[in-house]
Amino acid sequence: MRVSSPARALTRYVTRYRLRYAAGVACLGAATLLSLAIPRTVQRAVEALEADAGGAPVGAYVGIILLLALGNGVARLGSRFAMMGSAQRVEYDVRNDLYRSLLRFPPAFYARHSIGDLMARSSSDISAVRVLAGFGAVSFISTVFAFVGALGAMIAVDPWLTLYALAPYPTLVALARRANVTIHERTQAAQDQLGVLSARVQEHLAAMSVVRAYTMEGQAAAEFDRANGEYLRRSLALGRTLSQFVPLTGLITGLGALIVLWLGGRAVMDGRLTLGALVAFNGYLAYLAWPTLALGFTLSIVRRGLTSMERIQEIVATAPAPEPHAAPLGGAPAIRFSNLTFAYEDRPPALREVSFEVTPGETVAVVGHTGSGKSTLGALLARLWEPPAGTVFVGGRDVGDLPLGTLRGALGYVPQEAFLFSRSISDNVTLGRSMIAPDVVRAAAAVAGVADEVERFPAGWETVVGERGLTVSGGQRQRLALARALAGAPAILVLDDVFASVDAAKEEEIVENLRRAAWGRTVLLMTHRLRAARAADRVVVLAEGRVAETGTHDELLGRGGLYAQLWRIQQLEEEIARA
Amino acid sequence: MHDLEHDEILGRAFDRHLVGRLARMARSHGRLIVSTALLFPLIACVELLQPYLLKIAIDDHILAADWRGLTEVAALFLGVLVMLSALRAAEAYLMQLTALRVMHDLRAMLFRHLLRLEAAFFDRNPVGRLMTRVLNDVEAVSEAFTSGLFAVVGDVITLAGVVAVMLWMDWRLALVTFSLVPALGAIAGYFRIRARDAYREVRRRLARLNAFLQESLQGMTVIQLFAREGHEFSAFRRLNADYRRAMFGSTVWEASLYAAVEALGSAALALLLWYGAGQIAAEALTFGTLVAFIQYTNRFFLPIRDLGAKYTVMQSAMASSERIFALLDRAPAIAAPAVAGPRAEPQGPSPVAFKAVWFAYEGEDWVLRDCSFEVAPGERVAIVGATGEGKSTCARLLNRSYDVGRGQVLVDGVDVREWDLQSLRRHVGIIFQDTVLFTGTIEANLQLGSDGRVTRADLERAVEVANCRRVIEGLPRGWGEELSERGANLSHGQRQLLAIARALVYNPAILVLDEATSSVDPESEALIRHAMTRLAEGRTTITIAHRLSTVQSADRILVLHRGRIHEEGRHAELLRLGGLYARLWELGVKSRPV
Repeated sequence: MRVSSPARALTRYVTRYRLRYAAGVACLGAATLLSLAIPRTVQRAVEALEADAGGAPVGAYVGIILLLALGNGVARLGSRFAMMGSAQRVEYDVRNDLYRSLLRFPPAFYARHSIGDLMARSSSDISAVRVLAGFGAVSFISTVFAFVGALGAMIAVDPWLTLYALAPYPTLVALARRANVTIHERTQAAQDQLGVLSARVQEHLAAMSVVRAYTMEGQAAAEFDRANGEYLRRSLALGRTLSQFVPLTGLITGLGALIVLWLGGRAVMDGRLTLGALVAFNGYLAYLAWPTLALGFTLSIVRRGLTSMERIQEIVATAPAPEPHAAPLGGAPAIRFSNLTFAYEDRPPALREVSFEVTPGETVAVVGHTGSGKSTLGALLARLWEPPAGTVFVGGRDVGDLPLGTLRGALGYVPQEAFLFSRSISDNVTLGRSMIAPDVVRAAAAVAGVADEVERFPAGWETVVGERGLTVSGGQRQRLALARALAGAPAILVLDDVFASVDAAKEEEIVENLRRAAWGRTVLLMTHRLRAARAADRVVVLAEGRVAETGTHDELLGRGGLYAQLWRIQQLEEEIARA
Repeated sequence: MHDLEHDEILGRAFDRHLVGRLARMARSHGRLIVSTALLFPLIACVELLQPYLLKIAIDDHILAADWRGLTEVAALFLGVLVMLSALRAAEAYLMQLTALRVMHDLRAMLFRHLLRLEAAFFDRNPVGRLMTRVLNDVEAVSEAFTSGLFAVVGDVITLAGVVAVMLWMDWRLALVTFSLVPALGAIAGYFRIRARDAYREVRRRLARLNAFLQESLQGMTVIQLFAREGHEFSAFRRLNADYRRAMFGSTVWEASLYAAVEALGSAALALLLWYGAGQIAAEALTFGTLVAFIQYTNRFFLPIRDLGAKYTVMQSAMASSERIFALLDRAPAIAAPAVAGPRAEPQGPSPVAFKAVWFAYEGEDWVLRDCSFEVAPGERVAIVGATGEGKSTCARLLNRSYDVGRGQVLVDGVDVREWDLQSLRRHVGIIFQDTVLFTGTIEANLQLGSDGRVTRADLERAVEVANCRRVIEGLPRGWGEELSERGANLSHGQRQLLAIARALVYNPAILVLDEATSSVDPESEALIRHAMTRLAEGRTTITIAHRLSTVQSADRILVLHRGRIHEEGRHAELLRLGGLYARLWELGVKSRPV
């Protein structure tokens, strides 16, 4: 899919709020006019004073200025509310779209992108877009209005004086352009060195055990100092350019004021200009100073915002299409693998020519060493990774043809890594599925052998777990994840080594519970513990991605092959643990 | 992202205690800071000259139709402008210089401090969090100098100057302007507090939103497996909407503050005009003074309007410096004793002893319980045991990465806690399970920690003994080959050979080999084994064996079980004994891939 240009993408969001933006622009226009009218009124007042100090209607002018100030304040507030508010709405929409996209990506995507990177895109990048859509827009439009308005007002007072006053500005533009190149280069150089510096810190902190053992502290500090010193040097080079440029803009705008004073003063002497007009002229020129100074700043906001928008679009525009609406799976809950060969990206195949079937109501255990491909079977079944067409079937249908919702609605898949959200235990089991009543939660947890422990927690089912709550053990986490799958009463249960952190006695209890609860339910059980496999109807032994043996526990033991060897190893391990 | 929790709390913008510590830290740049600070009143003076020159130009020259005089004033004005620009350039440069130097020093101080902290600290603090301290927090503190403290001091000086000049020029007109100050103070104070509260609310909402997102990304598989995308999305949208509302609340107060101060500025202008007109009529005031006053009033209101931005900078700088100081205050739990016993460079291999050692990484979760053993000088001992029995822990106690809970670890008959830390670690070398190489040349990597005491001939010899001459010569740039981070451009086996050569160069009297668990190709394995044997010559070696196939030739094998030595003896004796070692051996043989 092609990533559309960031500017176009941003425009799509902004046009949703075109009325608000239009209102904001109108307010800004009004504010500009009203605030420019203040120097104009001062001019009139001063002229009246010049003409007749005693009889000038100063009170009226003062009243007008107060009204103008009030109007200006209200218009500015309105413009901020409208435009900043719209920008916040744009941010809200972009963030929602980004999250919606993230929800659609398969694990392959998450293997490529670190969480840190995705978090950066959805926090600092989105902020940069908001700043562009809000402050950037306000600042850009104000600059345009200020230039148009102030220029207009100045020309109305005296076209020639305007020309002279603005004479230094082209120099400013030329200088700014030259400085910009240098600033850009030096910023880049400093940023690159910051990268080197942080790589140094990261490298040494991550390898502290080696640093310590080889008494490398002095060396590490010396290397750090070199990188740190170089960063200081490059930042100072940037600082020098910046410190030359910043006052330069002040100098050029100041020169404008000087010219007005000198030539304008002459015009007043000659009677071509009133003193009031000169004062007003000075006011208009001052009005231009800030937008001129902010111009460079506004440009960097635009650049930064568009880069960020591009980074966001890289995710949003490449998200998989939304799935069609899911219907319940028709057909019997059977599983079939047919000549399945599968490799993760750039790696040798994890599974080779695997074929076997789990008939409805049957419990099949898949055993094998770590890395034999057990987990891959489950991941392909749930389509976390896409299996090749015509190799994996659920209910007689190729999983690739089933809508994800239908497939996953039929499967209760419990992955090896049990993940709990920082929410209450009951929320963790229901996951917001409204059809799961509290008694179902309890029943599922009871089958998973964790209900009694939960009820002993101070807040029971409402106990919040995770980072900001109660820390639960690895075994409890695994059993709660199992309960989560059981609570949905799926037709097919797929368990990927879920007993790894559960002790042997507890494991037997759960397997026993499952056998009773799973009555009539199809179960595929991946395990490296053969105790659990013994209870299955049939065992499939995987070795290096291939099916090595199949049969019941007793048959396989009798055959004296890989399964029998694994069984002996586990008995040894148990003996060692008991010693 | 752990810092999100910290970010939820934003404290005061000015903490006397913290600022005091920062000031002490910046003392070494005292001269720089003082000269920067001296520029502020100078700049204020020059800046305040401009409106005054305008007044003179109007009153004395324009209204008097004195073209020559006006030109002179204009020339003066030009001089002031140039001077102001030069001063501003100097100010900007000095401010940057100060901030960058402070940042440079603070970073170096932090990094050096981290290097002194013990292993247990790094177990609890992920590298990412420490990186944030050294990089981002230090940056925020240096911002406090440029955009915060310096800017505020500069503003205050300018403000004082404005007040003084206005009072001096016309105290009555000045008082008229200042009559708005109480209103200004009340409004600014009120809006400031509301804006601050609103901003806190924004941070709180944002932290919640990000925490939700982070967790969502971690638990994405679960969300997708249970088809809970819709449910999670609506929860996210609610949090997002809360955040947007909080943002808008903050905008309302910030914008109102801005607009109110601006409106007050215009009101001051109106007031000046109204009062000034009367005075002009009474000929008690000149036009020039009135115009100059209008400009001074503008300069009076500007810094007050921009106070908000500075407040925010200071607030985050305070939060950052608090985190930095908390880290600096964390004293190393393992340090050399104040008076380390004098230790002559020992001749020949050294003995090692564990005496009733108890050790736990966490609370009472004992990994070693009453573990005792001795290793004679020059002996080659292997420690074996099931996974998680604390074999590697023994190595970490030997070089004092961790301290024992109870009991004693003796090296050369002296408790490791009485050794000077550096000499202990020069004495006890460790080859780690996963070989870490550093960015830099091969040559630099082989000389780790030897502080230039080794010659090229030493290196050549070590490389010869470690069988890695071929590895080095096979590289395009040989000894000068630059390794990428963690030595990623070398194979696993090559890295191990280099690590052995590195240990040979380091030449410790006691060597601990934490054997690699993952296997390398058979050819490399033979090379590595051969190199290891030669490495062991003439020193005490302790091999922590994860695979039993490599321990048969050890002088003695210690079987670690449940935190203590369960069996010991030679390979054949232990097999004959038919105990735990025999089972482990059988397990090892059985577990070989078919």
